[in-house]
Amino acid sequence: MRFRAPREHEAEERAWQVVSAAYAEREPVAWPRRHVRPLVAGALVAAVVAAILSPPGRSVVHSLRKAVGVQRAEQALFSLPTPGQLLVTSRTGTWLVRQDGSKRLLGRYRDAAFSPHGLFIAATRANQLVALDPKGNVRWTLARPGPRFPAWTGTSTDTRIAYLSGGRLRIVAGDGTGDRALGRAALVAPAWRPGPGRVIAFAATPESVIVLNADDGTVLRRLRSSEPVRKLRWSSEGLLLVFAPHATRVYDRRGRVVEEDDSSEATFDRDAAFIGKTPEVAAIRAAGLGSSIFSLASGRAFFNGSGVLSQLVSSPDGRWLLLAWPTANQWVFVRLQPRKIVGVSRVTQQFGRSATIQGWCCAG
Amino acid sequence: MAGSGRDERAWVRRAQAGSASDFEALFRAHWGPAYRAAYLVVRDAAAAEDIAQEGFLAAVRALDRFDRRRPFGPWLHRIVVNRAIDWARARALRPEAEQVDAAAPEQPERDEQLLRELSKLSPEHRAVIVLRYLLDYTPGEIAELLELPRGTVNSRLRRGLDSLKERL
Repeated sequence: MRFRAPREHEAEERAWQVVSAAYAEREPVAWPRRHVRPLVAGALVAAVVAAILSPPGRSVVHSLRKAVGVQRAEQALFSLPTPGQLLVTSRTGTWLVRQDGSKRLLGRYRDAAFSPHGLFIAATRANQLVALDPKGNVRWTLARPGPRFPAWTGTSTDTRIAYLSGGRLRIVAGDGTGDRALGRAALVAPAWRPGPGRVIAFAATPESVIVLNADDGTVLRRLRSSEPVRKLRWSSEGLLLVFAPHATRVYDRRGRVVEEDDSSEATFDRDAAFIGKTPEVAAIRAAGLGSSIFSLASGRAFFNGSGVLSQLVSSPDGRWLLLAWPTANQWVFVRLQPRKIVGVSRVTQQFGRSATIQGWCCAG
Repeated sequence: MAGSGRDERAWVRRAQAGSASDFEALFRAHWGPAYRAAYLVVRDAAAAEDIAQEGFLAAVRALDRFDRRRPFGPWLHRIVVNRAIDWARARALRPEAEQVDAAAPEQPERDEQLLRELSKLSPEHRAVIVLRYLLDYTPGEIAELLELPRGTVNSRLRRGLDSLKERL
């Protein structure tokens, strides 16, 4: 049978754009296999992002929306469903979004983080760490080579910002003084433990995590991961989430594993986060074209869908999850109880390409 | 259509080493059969495009681990056809998604009728017929690709063909 499928050539060219982008992002890597997976996952994410504007990505949005269960898709982010404010970075810059939906472009920064009460923002650009107010006014800057991943902690009168620069973890006071280096660090965002004391978790190497008392430099815990760590987060009770796509762990204060998730060869986790101030972790499990959002502790599925969901952020009150759905150019807000799912369309048009949610913080 | 076995092994080897042009040769050689196979199973051009594209993304993911002694085509078709079957099964459960794309305008009338009737078979029957008569795999190879007993492949082929024959 001589047969040509409809629009075969056009489909080929569109697919080639996506597939070649994934190939270009890939780096030939030798064994062991566990080193291959993070790179490939990164390439796949890049390809998925590249697919945002392609017809194949858009063509399945309708059916995927049904499959995911989005009950309503707003044309824009008119408001946040619960008190708080969002920080978003994209190729356009860093945006601050208020609960009423008003948003302000703070400037062209690469990473951004809220201060403990959401009153200020720490951000990074090429060779500067910058402290901003919510109007985007620069309060101070600190010149450092290639700073990344600021994380701000403290009380209203005494705060510290941790960040990475020159392959080291550095800490500076909230007023930009007293900058010092603590130790070698891999390119993973450090995370401060909530509560009293200044305890920070950071990746010393891609596969090892150190929990450190930042005041006196005492190492409180050394943790090993079987594959490169992507993300570190603390619960309000002091549980530490060490996220890796095939080997996520939750540790208690004594360094004991209290939750673990080893996805199979065929699946991997895209992201995970504590739900609000609870010790419960929600994770995105990717399997082929589908995603499942589930509780790490109970295995309970919050929902399953055919979309490729890539980022998971909890609202400050823990009632809502915000999921990035790049292939549909949407965000999805999921209320856990009673369940409600609301989509927000046209994310790229509102925030620019490669929009990443940096934080959902306390009401400002 | 796909290049010779030697060409293909060379493309894979050089693509693994980072040659974008060889990876493109591999893509160009295999896109058509993969897309057509997916299309014939799902009868939805956009879904077929996504499925074939996902197959190639899986290929990128697994490129470093790929055993160059094995042929690339069957490996890719296995991914694509299995995903197409899953997609078609899922769609069968969603009555709102019954829309079927029109065949390409250049299809002769007889082929159009054949495609229409093919789409009425179950995804499993469609898949074995597509693999056998579009991609020219032997029943033994199909059994290996879909991880089915050979007898199951043969019976699906027989039933699928009988059903088509009755309708045509």
